[in-house]
Amino acid sequence: MPAKVIVRDLQKRYGRVEAARGVSFEIHDGEIFGLLGPNGAGKTTTIECVIGLRDPDAGQIDVCGIDARQQPREVKQRIGASLQSTALQDKITPREALELFGSFYRKHLDPVALLERFSLAEKADVAFDTLSGGQRQRLALALAFVNDPELIFLDEPTAGLDPQSRRELHAEIARMKQDGHTVLLTTHDMDEAQALCDRIAILDHGRIIATGTPTELTTRSAGQHLVSIVVTRAIDAAWLADLPSAQDVTVDGERARFHTTQPSRAVSLLLSRLQAANAELVDLHVQKATLEDVFIELTGAALRD
Amino acid sequence: MRALLQQLRTSLRLHFRNPMALIYGYAFPTIFLIAFWVLYRYDRVPLVRHMGELLTVTVLGGACFGLPTTLVSERERGVWRRIRLAPVSMLSVVGSTVAARYVLLILAALLQIVLAMLIGMPFPRHPIQLGIAFTAVAFAFLGLGMVIATLADNVPAVQALGQCIFLPMLIIGGVAVPLASLPDWAQHLSAFFPGRYAVEALQTAVNGNGLAASRFSLLALVTIGAASAIAGTRLFRWDAQQRFVGRGGKGWIAAALVAWVAVGVAAEAKGRIASILPAESPATSASTPSTPSTSPAPTASVEPSAPPSSRSAVPAAAPPTPQQPSTSTRAPSPPPEAGPTAPNDHASAPPATPHPPAGERSSPPLPLGMTGAMPGPPPVANAPATSPETPAPPKPAETASGHEPTSWQAVTMQNIDDKLVFDRLPPDNGVFTPIATSDQQPDQDVSADLDALAAALPDWTPGKVADPVQRVRNLLYVPSVVDIFQLPSEPYVPLLVFDQIEQQIPKEDLIKILYWIAVHPDQGDGSAVQALGPLGIPNGPSDLSEVRNRAGYYAVKLLGRITGKRPGK
Repeated sequence: MPAKVIVRDLQKRYGRVEAARGVSFEIHDGEIFGLLGPNGAGKTTTIECVIGLRDPDAGQIDVCGIDARQQPREVKQRIGASLQSTALQDKITPREALELFGSFYRKHLDPVALLERFSLAEKADVAFDTLSGGQRQRLALALAFVNDPELIFLDEPTAGLDPQSRRELHAEIARMKQDGHTVLLTTHDMDEAQALCDRIAILDHGRIIATGTPTELTTRSAGQHLVSIVVTRAIDAAWLADLPSAQDVTVDGERARFHTTQPSRAVSLLLSRLQAANAELVDLHVQKATLEDVFIELTGAALRD
Repeated sequence: MRALLQQLRTSLRLHFRNPMALIYGYAFPTIFLIAFWVLYRYDRVPLVRHMGELLTVTVLGGACFGLPTTLVSERERGVWRRIRLAPVSMLSVVGSTVAARYVLLILAALLQIVLAMLIGMPFPRHPIQLGIAFTAVAFAFLGLGMVIATLADNVPAVQALGQCIFLPMLIIGGVAVPLASLPDWAQHLSAFFPGRYAVEALQTAVNGNGLAASRFSLLALVTIGAASAIAGTRLFRWDAQQRFVGRGGKGWIAAALVAWVAVGVAAEAKGRIASILPAESPATSASTPSTPSTSPAPTASVEPSAPPSSRSAVPAAAPPTPQQPSTSTRAPSPPPEAGPTAPNDHASAPPATPHPPAGERSSPPLPLGMTGAMPGPPPVANAPATSPETPAPPKPAETASGHEPTSWQAVTMQNIDDKLVFDRLPPDNGVFTPIATSDQQPDQDVSADLDALAAALPDWTPGKVADPVQRVRNLLYVPSVVDIFQLPSEPYVPLLVFDQIEQQIPKEDLIKILYWIAVHPDQGDGSAVQALGPLGIPNGPSDLSEVRNRAGYYAVKLLGRITGKRPGK
């Protein structure tokens, strides 16, 4: 499968800060690629270089087979982008905005069709400042599609949306993939990344520290499971001592949790100790590691600071 | 190109959806127009002399507030951040906004011109050159607006920065206040602001001799505009958080200011400080008559379109000295209105009586208001000592000297010498009862006014009443009203009226009558003040005291001229 985006050894520094220290990744044609990383990891810099807003100090960037460093304008012709919050003039209407942005591109789609597709036909001729948050987000997506792009870049597409709009947007992104578009998105939401992305790259301190499908990443995470229990009386720390491969044991009154690579052996031993101590079980959970666990494990930081 | 046009169209559409922008863009120019109309309501042709100022205020407002507010608010709310994702250049984004603003300014200017023409202003004399001048003005000021937009982080900062440029330019930059009314230092300072060049370029196209007379102004505007455009481009920021990094940073502001300084220095070097426009009222500014010789005086260039006959009466009002052939576009034909007693005769007339010795003139000081709106009574020596509160005592004749004449026929030269103090009269080049000197030249419009007045004066009914005292009073009311209203013709009208009076009244009688009027300014019929229409002068104020007071002063001034006690200077 040909690569839609190739980034090799991207480097960019601002004064003494190294925002990107040799970032490399590829995005395949037709996939949804998620770029994750804590704040300050170099996500914004990397993306700005890819979509032609910034010129890196070193490295190679090919987008749709075009050298983005040589022809940033040409790259912009072929990609569509939707920023976290798309701001337009207060009094511009969706139809006018689509006409205006369409005029920026060689190839552009019919505003009426876009309004239909993004359920904005009813709001086509009202001022931008009267649109709801969900409608604005749909207009932002419509604007990203105005040039029928090969690659779509979505920056935090669901941030600040209500659950309903969020579900609609997820469906829309899935549809983009079905239509053969390649999507690059950033998100804070691990569930979203897990649900939507074909592949994920995790960026930290200006470097890609992990790449793979969500499943690959979670299983690669040393097969860690999280066990959490709640019992009827205060837990004695001795009950949790020397459980098989238990790590990060925390006890808090009637509650306790730990990580283990051998969940069934650890749990059966723990249950027999509870029985001996005559403590009744209230709740027991055994969870596979989530993407978030992987992320924290890899970066040592929570996504939301 | 398509993108630019689409942006231009969108900018214009959005502008017309923004009520605040409409108020700023069109209501303000209209308000300024009405304000100027009210302010200069006694101009013979409404607003034609102030179109340059009005249009400049409009462009200045659009540049200092309109343009940067649009640019900064779009940048502030993140519109540019979104546009930047598309393959458009910064030049196209800013260019379309500037172009839209230019179109809006043209609309506002047309609105002003049409409104002014509805009031009675004639069509601009050089419409195409007016378009060129307007474009140069817009270029200079919109460049300025761009620099404001790049410097300001938010809209309130635009307001603050804009005011810093708008207000000084209006007041001491020669835009809202005529240069001639400014003190010398302010005139020099104004040479460093683009405002005055804008006014000059526009005004010469509206009612002057066209852009040929304002080449320096055009050049100054283009220089300032180009420097601002370069600085604005260099300082451009896609968002306000972006610092001024690299490529000289804020140093480019200095580059823009250097252009202002360069223009100012060039103006100083070329002696372009005094306005090239005709002075509003020459008598109000001491520096105006000293127009540098390098500056083309409005009358210096021969304009064939002006019929020579339109100036024929001017010599009667302000006799040009024969040593000034270079400024003479006047008709060779003799002035028909100038009678046998040409104004020059004032100076050559032998003194009727010898000057009183200096000692005899040691009269008590008189409360002569030189500049105030309520000057004291005419310089009658003894009368005001009684009651300074009343502007002119009703019967001053009864106050002091025992041998006061009881009728004007009984006035003697001795009375004049006793009572009148010629060396305390307000100066002829002041603002109170001004009289033009021989080297003062009325400009074209004023000449036309004077022609009309000279033609109408002999047939003016109040100027032909039987009683010679009343006749002289009526005639003296004419320059008095013109003076009160500060019409541009104010220094010239007295000369015309003096001529008329001298033609009608024998000198012996006139001396006595003038004395009588000076001592009794409040007597006689004042209805002539309300009958000035046929002379092309607005009727005087209903409160006659001001008019009578000035008529008294003019009487003494004329008396001084014909007796040689105070020759015209």
